[in-house]
Amino acid sequence: MTGSIHVGLAAMGVGIGVGLTGLGMATAVGRNPGAFTQVLVHGILAIAFTEAIVFYALFLLGH
Amino acid sequence: MRNRYLLMSILALMFSAALASSAFAAETAAPAQAEHEGVPLKPAPIVEIGKFAVTNSMLVTWIVAAGIIVFAQIATRTIKPIPSGIQNFWEWLVESLYNFLEGIIGRELVRKTFWFFATIFIFILFVNWFGLIPGVGTIGWGHYDTNGAFHIDRPLLRGGNADLNMTTAMAAIFFLLWIVWALQAQGVGGFLRHLFAPKGETTGVLKILMAVIFFMVGWLEVISILFRPISLSFRLFGNIYAGESILEAMSTMNPYLAPFLPLPFYFMEILVGIVQALVFMLLTAVFTMLIAQHDHGPERAH
Repeated sequence: MTGSIHVGLAAMGVGIGVGLTGLGMATAVGRNPGAFTQVLVHGILAIAFTEAIVFYALFLLGH
Repeated sequence: MRNRYLLMSILALMFSAALASSAFAAETAAPAQAEHEGVPLKPAPIVEIGKFAVTNSMLVTWIVAAGIIVFAQIATRTIKPIPSGIQNFWEWLVESLYNFLEGIIGRELVRKTFWFFATIFIFILFVNWFGLIPGVGTIGWGHYDTNGAFHIDRPLLRGGNADLNMTTAMAAIFFLLWIVWALQAQGVGGFLRHLFAPKGETTGVLKILMAVIFFMVGWLEVISILFRPISLSFRLFGNIYAGESILEAMSTMNPYLAPFLPLPFYFMEILVGIVQALVFMLLTAVFTMLIAQHDHGPERAH
C-alpha cells in the first residue's frame, strides 16, 4: 500500500471543518429562520475556503 | 428581456461545449485501461478525427445542451399570457432562480449576470441527472474475460461532469467572466485597491503598519482567487465521479443483490446532483458579488 499521509490529514481536517460550518449554519437558521439567505451565503463561502485546503494538499502531492 | 437571456444562455452552452471539446480533448486520447476495475478517471474516445477525439462525456454534454435548447425553444414558441404546461415549468424555473439570486447578489448585479448563473445551474443539473439514467456508462464496447463475463471498456455515454475537462472548462469560463465583471464594476485601479488597499480607519504609525499588512494579505487573497477555478472544477468533478464509482461498485459487488444495492445510492446521487449544481451556481454568484459590490468607504462597518 502506498499513499501520502498529508492529503489524508488535510481531508480529515477539512471534513471536520466543513461539518462544523454546517453545524453553525444549521444552528443559526434554527435560531433565526429569517436570516436563511445571509447564513447560506456566508456558510457557502466559509465551506469553500475550508475545502480549498484539501486542494492545496492535493497539489503539493504532485511534487 | 427573456429572449436576450435565452440567446446568451444558448451561446454560453455552445461556447462551453466547444471549449470543453477542443482545448482539453487532446489529453483524452489514451485508451481506457482494460484491467482497471471501476470507472476510469479519463473519458473514453468514441470517434477520433486526427488529434481531435470525440469522447463519451462530450457526447453527453452535447445531448443535454441540445435537449435544453430544444426544450426551451418549444416552451417559448407560443408564449401565452397565462402559461401552462412546459411554458409554465420554464417560467417557474427561471423566475425562482432569478428571485433566489436577486436575494443573494442584489438587484443590479443579477440583471447583468443572471444569464450565466442560470445557464450554469440548469446545465449542470441536467448533465448530472442525465448521468443517472440507466444505460449511461453500461452500454458500449467491451471484451469477455477468461470466465466469460463481459466488461465494458469504452462506454457509449459517460456522465458529463464525471470528466475533469468539462468542469475545468466551466470554471475557466467563469474565471474569465469574473475578471471582466470585476473590471467593469471597479475599474483597474479599484480592482487593485479592492485586493491590496487597507480597509478601516487608522492613523499615524498604525496606518503604515496596516498598509503593509493589507498589502501582504492581498497576495494571500490573490492566491486564494487563483485557486477558485481549481477548487470549483475539482469539487464538481470529484462529487460526480465518486457517485459514478459508488454506483458501479454497488452494482458489481454481489450478483444477486445487484438490482437492489445501488438503489439508495441512486436517490443520494439525485440529491448530490442538485446540491452540486446549486453550490457551483452559489459560489460563482457569491465570488462575483464580493468583487463587484461597491465599497462605500469607511462608514461601512464590519
